[in-house]
Amino acid sequence: MQPHFEQQGDVRHFIHGGEPQEPRLLDCEVAEGEELRIVLAPGTNVGKTLLEVLEGRRYASAVGRLLSGGASHLAYHRMVVTTSEQKPYDYGAPVVLDGYITFVSGAITVGRDPQDKALLHCHAGFIDREGGQHGGHLVLDRIVVGSEPLVIRLCLFNHVAYQVKPDSETHFSLLHPVLQEAV
Amino acid sequence: MNAAVLDETQIQSGRLGRLVVARLKPNEDIMDSAEALCAAHGIGAAVVRGGLGSLIDANLEYHSREGLKLIPVTGPGVEILSITGEIRAGDSRLQAVVADADGKIYAGLLARGRNLSFITIELTLQEWLPG
Repeated sequence: MQPHFEQQGDVRHFIHGGEPQEPRLLDCEVAEGEELRIVLAPGTNVGKTLLEVLEGRRYASAVGRLLSGGASHLAYHRMVVTTSEQKPYDYGAPVVLDGYITFVSGAITVGRDPQDKALLHCHAGFIDREGGQHGGHLVLDRIVVGSEPLVIRLCLFNHVAYQVKPDSETHFSLLHPVLQEAV
Repeated sequence: MNAAVLDETQIQSGRLGRLVVARLKPNEDIMDSAEALCAAHGIGAAVVRGGLGSLIDANLEYHSREGLKLIPVTGPGVEILSITGEIRAGDSRLQAVVADADGKIYAGLLARGRNLSFITIELTLQEWLPG
């Protein structure tokens, strides 16, 4: 199928190249979560250190927010138009910023890759040193905490994981909730 | 959106309960999906614990003298940077911060039925248990 837009009422739908599969909402229930408040010190590599913090903990996945803080170096992706017929939109080359970056909003999912290793998915909004606004998909391995510590809150849970799996409808590898044995 | 007038401060004690860990496939609306997930799990009220992904287009609202006004953000690929708010059947109030494909940030109330998932949305809700 050729990906295309469809107008339905006052909203646009986007029909991807792959066959849509039911159900349209995938969900699992977890009895409870464990809360963590993490403060990353200035100079810390965010992705590497966050994974170190989580190493050895008994959890399947986690969700949370960037509460406050800044970065001295940051890379993020925006969505761009591609030349692919089956995947006409994808992330472009990273946009790189340096110096005095202030986070104003952000969300994070800690999922699992196909080898069951922890995987970080993070979107955030931030202000550069000139006051310019930015927002997009963060490359956490390329973010260094700035002079303000970075405060992150996570809700860890067991029995259910956000697992990376290929998605035949969109042709992306995406995080799907799946039931797991307790870690 | 209902705009009930509140005459006095209300305080409710409670705790957080079950988590619903979800993925919204393309063309599913955030608010409608959040309410459907709560209904499917027998949850009367919930808060958003995690929410990120992308929208085809975003339609955000804000209050003005003339009533609710719309902030349209044209996509596709409007990135969800965060979602907050409460889910109550038919009366949910959710706010979002999003970014367009140029990285420009917008914020506002999510307009029901007008914020459809583009590729995926990871949405995690947690039950609110009063008392």
